[in-house]
Amino acid sequence: MASPPKPRQRRQVASTSATGNYDQDDDDHVHAIYQNPNSRSAFERVLDTPQASAAIVGVLTAIAFALRFYKINQPDQVVFDEVHFGKFASFYITREYYFDVHPPFAKLLFGLAGWFVGFDGHFKFEEIGNNYTDSHVPYVGMRALPAILGSLTIPVVYAIMKETGYSTIIAAFSACIILFDNAHIAQSRLILLDATLIFFMSLTIYSYVRFRKLRYWEFTVEWWSWLIATGFFMACTWGAKVNGILTVATIGIAVLVDLWDILDHKKGFTMEHFWKHFMARAVGLIAIPFIIYLSFFYVHFAVLTHSGTGDSFMSPAFQETLIGNELLMNSQELRYYDVVTMKHKDTKVYLHSHPDHYPLQYDDGRISSQGQQVTGYGHDDINNHWQIIPTKALPEAGRGRVVHHEDVIQLLHVNTQTLLLTHDVASPLMPTNQEFTTWPKDDHSRHNDTLFYLNIIDADSEDPWKSKSSHFRLVHGTTRVSMWTHSKQLPEWAFKQQEINGNKNPTEKSATWFVDQVISTESPEGLSGEQVPKEPKKISFFKKFAELQLLMLQHNAGLTSSHPYASGPINWPFLISGISFWTENDAQKQIYLIGNIVGWWTCVIALSIYVGIMGADLLARRRGIEPIPEAARGRLWNSAGFFLLIWAVHYLPFFLMSRQLFIHHYLPSHLASALLAGSVLSFVLSDTVNYPISIVGRRTKMRKSEFADLGMKGPVVVGMFTFILFLMFLYMTPLTYGTPGLDGETINAKRLLSSWTLHFAAKEIAEIS
Amino acid sequence: MRPPQVQIDFGTPPGSPPRTSSEFEEIPYPATHPFYSTNSQSYKHEESLPLHHMNEDTSARRRVARGPGSSGGFMSGDEHENEMHYDDDGKDVYSKLRPARSRVSSGRVHRPPPPPPTSISEFISQNLEHLPPVIYTLLSCWTRFHKIGLANTVVWDEAHFGKFGSHYLKREFYFDVHPPLGKMLVGLAGLLSGYDGHFEFKSGVTYDENVPYVAMRVMMATFGVALVPLGWYTAVELGMSSWSCHLVALMVLCDVAWLAISRFILLDSMLLFFTFTTVFLLTKFHNQQYQSFSFDWWMWLAFTGISIGCVTSVKWIGLFVTAVVGLYTIEDLWDKFGDLRMTNRDQIRHWAARVACLIVLPILVYMLSFKLHFLILNHSGPGDSTMSSLFQAHLVGNDFGKNPREIAFGSKITLKGMGWGGGLLHSHVQTYPVGSGQQQVTCYHYKDDNNHWTVLPTWEAPEYNPNGELQFLQDGDVIRLQHVPTTRHLHSHSVAAPVTKLNNEVSCYGNSTVGDFHDYWVIEVVDDIKQGTKEQITKIHSLTTRLRFKHQALGCYLYASNAVLPQWGFKQLEVSCTKENDPEDMHTYWNVESHWNDRLPSGDAKFYKSPFLRDFWHLNVAMMTSNNALIPDPDKEDILASSPTDWPWMRLGLRMCGWGDDQTKYYLLGTPVIWWGGTASLIVSVIVFGVYLLRHQRKYIDMTPQQWDHFLYVGKIAGYGWFLHYFPFFIMGRVTYVHHYLPTLYFSVLMLAHLLDHFIFSARWKDSTKRVSFGICAFLIVGNFWWFRGMAWGIDGPINDYWGLLWRKTWNIYNA
Repeated sequence: MASPPKPRQRRQVASTSATGNYDQDDDDHVHAIYQNPNSRSAFERVLDTPQASAAIVGVLTAIAFALRFYKINQPDQVVFDEVHFGKFASFYITREYYFDVHPPFAKLLFGLAGWFVGFDGHFKFEEIGNNYTDSHVPYVGMRALPAILGSLTIPVVYAIMKETGYSTIIAAFSACIILFDNAHIAQSRLILLDATLIFFMSLTIYSYVRFRKLRYWEFTVEWWSWLIATGFFMACTWGAKVNGILTVATIGIAVLVDLWDILDHKKGFTMEHFWKHFMARAVGLIAIPFIIYLSFFYVHFAVLTHSGTGDSFMSPAFQETLIGNELLMNSQELRYYDVVTMKHKDTKVYLHSHPDHYPLQYDDGRISSQGQQVTGYGHDDINNHWQIIPTKALPEAGRGRVVHHEDVIQLLHVNTQTLLLTHDVASPLMPTNQEFTTWPKDDHSRHNDTLFYLNIIDADSEDPWKSKSSHFRLVHGTTRVSMWTHSKQLPEWAFKQQEINGNKNPTEKSATWFVDQVISTESPEGLSGEQVPKEPKKISFFKKFAELQLLMLQHNAGLTSSHPYASGPINWPFLISGISFWTENDAQKQIYLIGNIVGWWTCVIALSIYVGIMGADLLARRRGIEPIPEAARGRLWNSAGFFLLIWAVHYLPFFLMSRQLFIHHYLPSHLASALLAGSVLSFVLSDTVNYPISIVGRRTKMRKSEFADLGMKGPVVVGMFTFILFLMFLYMTPLTYGTPGLDGETINAKRLLSSWTLHFAAKEIAEIS
Repeated sequence: MRPPQVQIDFGTPPGSPPRTSSEFEEIPYPATHPFYSTNSQSYKHEESLPLHHMNEDTSARRRVARGPGSSGGFMSGDEHENEMHYDDDGKDVYSKLRPARSRVSSGRVHRPPPPPPTSISEFISQNLEHLPPVIYTLLSCWTRFHKIGLANTVVWDEAHFGKFGSHYLKREFYFDVHPPLGKMLVGLAGLLSGYDGHFEFKSGVTYDENVPYVAMRVMMATFGVALVPLGWYTAVELGMSSWSCHLVALMVLCDVAWLAISRFILLDSMLLFFTFTTVFLLTKFHNQQYQSFSFDWWMWLAFTGISIGCVTSVKWIGLFVTAVVGLYTIEDLWDKFGDLRMTNRDQIRHWAARVACLIVLPILVYMLSFKLHFLILNHSGPGDSTMSSLFQAHLVGNDFGKNPREIAFGSKITLKGMGWGGGLLHSHVQTYPVGSGQQQVTCYHYKDDNNHWTVLPTWEAPEYNPNGELQFLQDGDVIRLQHVPTTRHLHSHSVAAPVTKLNNEVSCYGNSTVGDFHDYWVIEVVDDIKQGTKEQITKIHSLTTRLRFKHQALGCYLYASNAVLPQWGFKQLEVSCTKENDPEDMHTYWNVESHWNDRLPSGDAKFYKSPFLRDFWHLNVAMMTSNNALIPDPDKEDILASSPTDWPWMRLGLRMCGWGDDQTKYYLLGTPVIWWGGTASLIVSVIVFGVYLLRHQRKYIDMTPQQWDHFLYVGKIAGYGWFLHYFPFFIMGRVTYVHHYLPTLYFSVLMLAHLLDHFIFSARWKDSTKRVSFGICAFLIVGNFWWFRGMAWGIDGPINDYWGLLWRKTWNIYNA
């Protein structure tokens, strides 16, 4: 121990202005400590050498690869969300269009990996537990991708800590928390998006730290490179998974703080200088990332040119750009006097009518009109045929006979020669909605009640009505109700068919119908049946992008159904519950996503220590006491504060989301908390920091430097911690790797918290009687 | 000592406020420091600045002293330019220090009290400033009471609150999600007007002649009348110019929504009244800050606390205004904490005063309202079953006292969950749509036959013989519980429960002859309130013995969670079987409530008292649970409900009654100018704040520290208030209605007045400009009110005959 222990509380000698933040420019500050790098403990000096650092990071990376690739072929079955993401990868290979709430970058990488190892895309990852080996799927190659990225995250974490100015041993500590974490390992050994997300997120943080360190070298090549690198990786993070937007938000906040600082008049910068900085960031962190993000989608659309499972999510115009799409094949303009069948978009029933009438009185005593029944029927039937009758004079031939948006039409039920009608009579099931019935076509007494506006969704005034592709609402002329149906069945008197009624909200979303089939037409094209495949239409990339982006947002918010393993954000840091990824009954094997409880709880403790220290510091300063030396304090505020920001921004927004949430959503935050844990440990062990760490510019005045010195206790503490961490990791490995199988007693023993719901646990309660 | 060349450091990053020595305590300029403290030292720093960046015009513009009577405004006559304190600031920044008076520089300018009047004319002139509020109050009486009895039917939520008021008059225990103070006041109004509580208050029904509904409405409306003077005096205390005070009073007077909600037997007028008083008392207290611990200081602080207690005792929404006071107090204390010259004793006194007056006192008021509630409602009524069995046994008219004491096989019983907010074990013929599909078992708060269970021995044991020897229930007995109406048995199996998925489902299965060993439950006695710990208990008593039911086959415990079942379960509470054996978990505790057994003698009516605190807590949890159960139902379109995003721009109104041509129609809708203006002002305030911050960062000095303090102080009261009254609605899961925005509106009104004050009335404009602007504002407000007055005063005849009310297409005013 070369350096003498220094008292915690020290008065700075006449420091008139604050320094200590490593971004301070004024330099009239004289440090009490002037430290010779060689006066540190021998251990620290050795560890600080580039060779030692390289050796440590090399070893850590090697272990990371070993742990993540160990038995990566186990299990040879579809696990958890591989169902989705494996399938999406296969769609890239078969080029079929699909829809997902996440941006395409990570999935494109999987597609690429699959293609690279020769996957033909015909395995569809239908269910958890489907066997890969039997279907000859080169799944190991696909799993290798996240495993590689997950392993590479370790050196990046190490580098972040190192660049931020922490000792080698502290950097290793943070890296180890990720390295030996069961959740990170389980997540990166499977075809899941999170490894990609976390890897690029850590790279973003790393680049931003490098960028910050170069702030006295503004507008140099290196400065620009790291700025653009930050933007690039940020776009990759965002492109990997929708949660990546939080990384963007983090960098955004950091940049705002940074710019606010530049704006400060005491720094003496001119407004021109500020605008230059502003523009540089706008380019590097907004324009370039956005272009990259767009380019992912460009590739996405370029690859997925064929019709697939995602068609029905998209608008008709979009669907017509896909090869082999049903709309593209069969959509045609409708003309008056065409006979068509109409289907309800959500429940997929045909508009149907039959000669039976509504009963005079319903069970609840309400009276009907006793008109002919109009129902929704799920099967093809001749009673589904309706003819479109005009309400205006038509030309003999030509385009004038095409039906347009907002035309007033009548619908003739072909079999009974009656016209569709609705009126102010309550429907059989819903007293609030109007009854639909029909009326003889020659009886003109109810003419006005048979008029309907054809309201094509998202159409302009002169758009024609097309089969398949035009989604429309049928709005009644006089009462303004829209034809609607819901999944409730009518009683026996209507053969348990679905009720059709008039919804009082004319813009009701679920009142959407489309023409399914054209039975007869006078159109010159005739009935388009088995024709030659049509050339797909083209719409601009930006339109496609905008549409998809909007849909992704809507669906993301819509994932609210419950899931047995979903958990609330408050549970995550404490590792209250995990997710059962996969089970195999015969050998009692299972994969259970759960973190390393030692690592996670250390992070939580570190977070609370940090908040405690900062709170106490604030209070003390309010009372005129300065308990923490300037340099250490600056480090805590700025770098550890940045880590806390990352953690908070990646965590707190989940409290506001009402969608399904899972513990793996916490992994990015966990990484940030590991970084913070490193900072806190460093502070707890020693007051000293490496300072300054940013690159000295031409005009910055030199400052007295200081070097971190943890002495022997650093390696000892970190070594012991890592050992415990490793033991805990080993203990939990059967749940992480899904092998070997465990008997009930062992599983009970591994259930460290009673809230973990492991499978095959032995019954704890002895039977009575 | 400090070097002569002072280094100015305003915008240091949060880490390191520059400090030199304790003598020169620097509190950073508010730009980076979110609190509005200023003392003379920091003020001196400001003054030592060379103001080369300062634009003389903009800096000098806002130099008019504030407060009605002290500055321009049409009631004060001429302007006393030469008396104004700050008038020459801009010209001579190097001038002498301001006297220490500026310690509290925000709020109303403090003036010494006038000498006692010696003549009547002097008295009048001294109190002339109270003339406008008196006039406004009279106007407000007129608007509030005008045609108040026009609708002789039960309008809107009068159906609830009128009924609850009746319960107080009949002294019957009822249950409601709101705390009791407001409803007790309704009851009081009924009492004073001679109402005997007989009327049922069915929605839309015409009042019979014995119901003095007009008198009751007038008493409720009186709270609404008081809003106007409160608004005026709050504005005065906030230090607004008299122009702005007039505007605040006018807006409070002329808002149609406030008017409409105050004219019926509802809680909202009281909620609004106490919200207004809380803000008023807070501002009053703030203005006493220059003389801490004086009598006035204590008085206003204590009143603030009492007002907080009242507002939360009316509706829990009152917690929002409590949060405003809390935030103000935290800032204030943080400020004082940094005042190194204050003695430790004073520090502690400040903290203690806040804790005593703003925490302890409100809680006492809140508890007092519940104590009164329990004292008044001493008869059995519709709300009994929300309370613990012991509490119910105390109500007059309750027959629990006659229960046979000891439970035997063959007894018919009801079981009460003892968890906070627990109900009676219940089953009904409807089946689970998920899981096993068997008959539902729930917890239910109302007494009916579906809560009745018969205690039977196991299938293997000899069948229960109604004439055989009596067999009393003991700890460890294995029993079946047969649901009396359906004869099915309480049953559990390893199927996930519908909501608490990790627990086993509990259902009713089989019939009187069909069943299996999954119907067996083991009785575990916890303790007995009367007999003591488990060891001393020989027989299980009704009401007092706490039990747990363990499923024999699965080892799980019968558990009444606070989870609410979806619509298919009628929003009743879920009952499941928890695998965790936590002997401390109250949710697994049950007690026998009603007990019928003809063969046993009926018990004596002596009971141990149910402690007040326990009942108080129990009732509050029950209220909380019911409140959370008021979630919007996606299956059912509720046209009355609205989402918080609908409110600031008045997307929706609310029909308060039937809309027939022969009915008097009331429509809950604000005065558009006030609502839109208020919302716009909030947006503007954020922008203005940002611009000021940016300009400060670039060293433009727009205001003196005092002015900045004042600007922030009023802005914060209004801004925090609005934010805290608005955003929680997004997080709350429960269904929300337009009238939830009404307390929020007050803060947007204050913000609007504040911004107008800042930019027009207290700024350096010509007097005529101010007069014209005031005229325009007042005209818009009053004109707008007059246009929509019918919505609150009642519209007779066909609504479609009234023209021009549909300012937004989304309002459902007209019949389509």
